[in-house]
Amino acid sequence: MKSKGAFLIARNNAQIDYVKQAVFLAKRVKKYLDIPTTVLTDSVDYLKTTYDETVFDRIIPLDYNPQKNERVYFDGALYQKQATFNNRARCQVYDLTPYDETVLLDTDYIVSNNLLKQCFNSQEDFLIYKESKDIAEVRDEQEFKYISDTGVPFYWATCVYFKKTKTNEIFFNLLQHIEEEWDHYRRVYQITSSLFRNDFAFSIAIHIMNGFTKGDFAQEMPGKMLYTTDKDVLEQLEDDKMMFLVEKKNYLGEYTALCTKGQTIHVMNKFSLNRIIDKELSNG
Amino acid sequence: MDKGILVLAQNLPEVNYVKQAELLAMSLQATNPNVKISLVTNNNVEFENLFDNIIPVPWNDDAENSDWKIQNRWKLYHASPYTKTIVMDTDMLVLQDISEWWKFLEKYKLFFTSKVYTYRGDIAKTSYYRKVFEVNNLPNLYAGLHYFEKSEEAQDFYHWLELVVQNWQAFYEIFLEGVTRPKHISIDVCASIVSLILGNASNITNSLTDYPSFTHMKKNCQGWVDSSSNWQDRVGFYISRDCNIKIGNYVQTGILHYTEKDFIEKSPVIERYRNLLNV
Repeated sequence: MKSKGAFLIARNNAQIDYVKQAVFLAKRVKKYLDIPTTVLTDSVDYLKTTYDETVFDRIIPLDYNPQKNERVYFDGALYQKQATFNNRARCQVYDLTPYDETVLLDTDYIVSNNLLKQCFNSQEDFLIYKESKDIAEVRDEQEFKYISDTGVPFYWATCVYFKKTKTNEIFFNLLQHIEEEWDHYRRVYQITSSLFRNDFAFSIAIHIMNGFTKGDFAQEMPGKMLYTTDKDVLEQLEDDKMMFLVEKKNYLGEYTALCTKGQTIHVMNKFSLNRIIDKELSNG
Repeated sequence: MDKGILVLAQNLPEVNYVKQAELLAMSLQATNPNVKISLVTNNNVEFENLFDNIIPVPWNDDAENSDWKIQNRWKLYHASPYTKTIVMDTDMLVLQDISEWWKFLEKYKLFFTSKVYTYRGDIAKTSYYRKVFEVNNLPNLYAGLHYFEKSEEAQDFYHWLELVVQNWQAFYEIFLEGVTRPKHISIDVCASIVSLILGNASNITNSLTDYPSFTHMKKNCQGWVDSSSNWQDRVGFYISRDCNIKIGNYVQTGILHYTEKDFIEKSPVIERYRNLLNV
């Protein structure tokens, strides 16, 4: 029997408690996917003293090594904060995961159905989302089609399924190389910002694995990646039901209420997500 | 002779189509050394031994005073020395072994490419250039890469093509809505009108097959948001010593239709092929 599980990475910065999100997501992974969760974190003590560590199958410590990778985080359309983007550990997941089959998830990917279970029945070795949908449906989605106007297709590192195979080991080694030589690769792939992004690194690595052409190394995850940007606000969450305020097109600071049920959604507004988690935790 | 490629090249003062045809022949020699190629032209050819035959434009030059040089295209059926012919535009490069394409084409008497690709390998959205086809429900034929076998069916098609090319304004008036009607002759439009008249689109195209086709480098069908510049100014062109080609981040295969007239001057492509083939 092959082992199956989810893998999360939680590296806090001065503004956002990713450990809190990981604890919250691990519970939902158990509830909806019925698989254990491993977390890789540089805040093990904080996790153990602040939250219920038993939600995790394993807690793997990561050296505290803050990066100079700053970005702006929005909390709705009108409010923003600058914070460190500690996102450089994903390439280690292949070596660190204790599972034969792993679903690697961002902590802000709010699992609300059992769709990802289908990955474990797949014949494919590597699944990732290329197809996505902004639930607001009013924004230009071009930035999630290609990593640059003339570049390669965009893949979401938010949610990735992989088996332990030789080819996937090569992929993750390649990912590490791209991460180490990011400034070179982002220029070769026409990315103007120097900010390291896992989505971009995965997209480039997939393109290389495909032999610099359109190929079939990466297959599509079940369904589509649904997302809301950090210009929207997660306002309510109850079991599999969520209520968002999504920004109105051409009306800065105005929102439309949008409810979802049974949909797994990538909630990019991490501040509003943490407020919701706080409510959940205070309700027991 | 059994089979081969046929190209028509008629120079303009500002464009040396014969030179493009020579480059095409070099690329063919590099990837398909046993495939024959003939050139139909009245112009001087520098590297004659790249071609198996150099054939004068038959029956006078109907395009003598034309900037588009379309008017002689219907003659290719009659000029071809081959039983089975693939016709190609001069501004193309053959980047892979196409022997499987020949096998596929044996099922047809006439075959036109009807979908083309971007340099990223996506199906090109060519609406920008092909509104006339969409609005008038014309079969989406690309004469730049097509095939015929000497046969009654193909001859019939080419007889009609002669008629349409020689009377293109009259046919445009009948088959094309006024606002979409091009002001110049297009061999793709003429061929599509013939196909419409003969009702044979499903016999001469195949929407299910990916190839034979080509990578179409017109800038407005690459899926770019910003198409303000020529493709050579938007993405890098790289050619290795063994003439493997990359555009942007993509290795190119199949047939590359580079379209921009200054491509030969701007890139080291001729030099690389000459070095590779010792031409």
